[in-house]
Amino acid sequence: MSAITTTRRALREAAADARRSWTGAAWLTVAGAGLAALVPFVVPSSVRLDGLAETGYLAVAAVGLGFAVGIGGMPSIAQGAFVGVGAVCAAHLVGSGWPAPAAALVGAAAAAVGGIGVGIAVVRFRAVYVAAATWITTWLFALGLDAFPTVSGGSRGLVVPPRGSPTIHYELALALVAAAMLAHRTLARSSFGLTLQAAAQRPAAAAALGAETARLRLQAFAGAAAAGGLAGGVAVQLLGVADPSSYGPSLSFQLLVAVLVGGAATALGPVVGVLVFAGLSLAADLLGGITGSETGRFGPMLAALLLLAVLTLGGEGIVAAVSSRLRLDRRRSEVGAAESSLTGASLEARALVKRFGGLVALDAFELEIRPGRMLALIGPNGSGKTTALRLLAGTVRPDAGEVRLDETDVTAEPTAQRVRRGLVRTIQSNALFPALTALEHATVGASLRRRHGALRTVLATPKARREARAVRARALAALRVVGLEERADELPESLTGAEQRLLMVASALATGPRVLLLDEPSAGAAPQDLDRLAGVLRALREGGLAILVVEHNVRLVRAVADEVVVLDAGKRLATGTPDEVAANPAVRAAYFGRQAL
Amino acid sequence: MDLALQVVVTGLAAGGVYGIVAIGHSLVFQLTGTVYLALGDLIGLGVFTTLLVAAGTGPITQTNVSSSRYLLALCVGVLVCVVVGAGGYALVVQPFLERGSTVGWIGATLALAFAIHAVIESVFPRSAYVFPDPIPFRRVGEAGFLTLAGASFSVRALYVAAVAFALAGLVAWAVNRTRTGRGLQAITADREGALVVGVPVAWLVPLAFGLAGAVAAVAAVVGAPSAPVSGQTGTLLGVKGLAAALAVRFGPPHYAFAAGALLGLLEAAVATVHLSGFELGPAYSQVLPLAAVLVLLAWRPPAEALEDVE
Repeated sequence: MSAITTTRRALREAAADARRSWTGAAWLTVAGAGLAALVPFVVPSSVRLDGLAETGYLAVAAVGLGFAVGIGGMPSIAQGAFVGVGAVCAAHLVGSGWPAPAAALVGAAAAAVGGIGVGIAVVRFRAVYVAAATWITTWLFALGLDAFPTVSGGSRGLVVPPRGSPTIHYELALALVAAAMLAHRTLARSSFGLTLQAAAQRPAAAAALGAETARLRLQAFAGAAAAGGLAGGVAVQLLGVADPSSYGPSLSFQLLVAVLVGGAATALGPVVGVLVFAGLSLAADLLGGITGSETGRFGPMLAALLLLAVLTLGGEGIVAAVSSRLRLDRRRSEVGAAESSLTGASLEARALVKRFGGLVALDAFELEIRPGRMLALIGPNGSGKTTALRLLAGTVRPDAGEVRLDETDVTAEPTAQRVRRGLVRTIQSNALFPALTALEHATVGASLRRRHGALRTVLATPKARREARAVRARALAALRVVGLEERADELPESLTGAEQRLLMVASALATGPRVLLLDEPSAGAAPQDLDRLAGVLRALREGGLAILVVEHNVRLVRAVADEVVVLDAGKRLATGTPDEVAANPAVRAAYFGRQAL
Repeated sequence: MDLALQVVVTGLAAGGVYGIVAIGHSLVFQLTGTVYLALGDLIGLGVFTTLLVAAGTGPITQTNVSSSRYLLALCVGVLVCVVVGAGGYALVVQPFLERGSTVGWIGATLALAFAIHAVIESVFPRSAYVFPDPIPFRRVGEAGFLTLAGASFSVRALYVAAVAFALAGLVAWAVNRTRTGRGLQAITADREGALVVGVPVAWLVPLAFGLAGAVAAVAAVVGAPSAPVSGQTGTLLGVKGLAAALAVRFGPPHYAFAAGALLGLLEAAVATVHLSGFELGPAYSQVLPLAAVLVLLAWRPPAEALEDVE
């Protein structure tokens, strides 16, 4: 195939993809951006274009932060510092004769490096610690600028010759805001963004699906820092000075306010937040001009009051509040081709031991499951069932013994690695992501075997789009297997108990498992839905998967299991078919006490 | 040797105050699982309220305030701290904790911090203020400096360090020995259980928020005459106290205090140390200790900082 044909086909596909995902909101955005681009040519010269451009650059930094906060779940209070890194770096380079665009890009790169440095510390942290560590970071940067005037230019700042007219900066700011929003939106709905959201909502469930949260978050954090650095790097060429006092904690705070006020989860939110804030500052200035008082100090105060008002009213931000009212964001997934193929593997546990302090939770535990077979693990509360699942899935390490998957020793491998090999577990409770639709749940699972990263996704390269289609097909196939295809666009809250359990199974299925470990699939399901659940489990077993199910519900166990293993106090008490086990006196004693005999 | 003593005295004077702030951060974290980002500005509010009552907003010299007025001022400052701290908890922390909104309380406490900061800076707009000093340290020794074994150190610094240690001891005693303190410990260990056995959680927690700020404000007021104060003084104390508390994983009071003291010593050491011709100097003293805490956190993250994966 010639290069021209290839290119032509890629372009046709791209156009088709764009048509498919085009919405009314997209038309509105394009129209808005077009009108905004005309502003310099139609408004009177009294309008301060440079002020608008500066607001635009701030919005770029805010959109980046919005991604880290709203999608990545990292409430960073250090974005102002990254803006400062970009600005100071670009100012030095411009001062020594670099061309303006190159200086800004190096500024962005420097901020990204800074973001990686801070990110390495914070991406594994809970939100509380992220906030504390980034708060110290932003102060560290401010104190550093203060302490080293050779770097920061001291109280005068670094003065550089301004480059480019206000009009050029205005149009550039507009283009950058549009690019940042597009990148935010594309990434938020991609495998990358969905996995990040899943990890922010239910870390344990995302980890069970094999998500490598820390790596994804580091990319998101560094990307957000780069957006801040780029904003700082171009803004310094508009303002003509990098003033160290303006990159302090107060800037970090104002950016966070913009993100939270506008809404952290959407691309438009941070931009709206920055605009609202700019509008309020303008109003305060006008008011101050009339009353003759000094208003510069009221910026942070205004931000504080604005934020408190929005948080108190509900906290989802302006954009989310408006769009839920207008229903602009309604999507309907078309059900396309879905393929599914199941293959099984055998799983073996040999002499597994796990102690918690003095308590032996599991003692010399043995187990073997073959493809096309379903084994049920039952036992009284506290008998070690869930511990066994955790050991098999790699959430906890055994004190002795080994886990073998198709004769490969996987005992030392972490969860994510085992999931890649096809050993997947659903967890007992709280495993659904409240803000993701059913299809998005399955997409998180299906994203596991993705090879192309965030950068390709943003650029929407043909390979990345092809891969996105394949991920989607796998996700849909998983939903079809459990019979949730028609519910693809529903949020978990509108699913029944049984459907929620099925969705957890579907997410696990989307990872392409060979051995499934299911923890209490019947929990929360109504009795009349048990048959549906049993039907799905049987279909999976007949498809060739090896399945281990921990279950309390005897009816379900008898309906689906080929073999039952009974645990009591960490030890294997009995093995056999469901009927044999039910008739075993030792099992009855364990469940009902000795007297019952 | 002579230098070492000087470093220890100056370091402990600053570090003692950080330590008291760190105790406040630890206490708040243990009680509610939140980081009180407004604690620093709350301390600033206490310091500047004291200054306002003692001397107004005009320029003063260190000596023209009577000790009775100074004491009255300190009491008002402490009272304001308790009221704003407790009220702040009720208004900006508790509603979001109940909703389970982490981003909510982070945003709201930051908003409170910047709001307090803006109020302070609008009443005290100049970049630095002299703080009155009711105790005439300058009459001791040579203009307030004593020389011991060749080392010269400030008597005032010694006094600040002593007050900080005394306050830390007082807090540790109150937490372990008083009814209120044991109530707080009960809440830390098991909030629901504390409620069941009749610990008045509803007012003890806000009270703790207020007292954490007030005790730290007392330490800050005692230390304030040593250097000019500005709106940023309190905020910075809050940040350094937080760093110290983080370094000991929001541990018990004596750990938090020790970490704060160590941070102060580290700052003093970095500022003055000469190593075979290599000199770091005061510029690094503001940066290196904080950076060290962040590196420590990244290198050895405490288990409770990491996200739950099961």
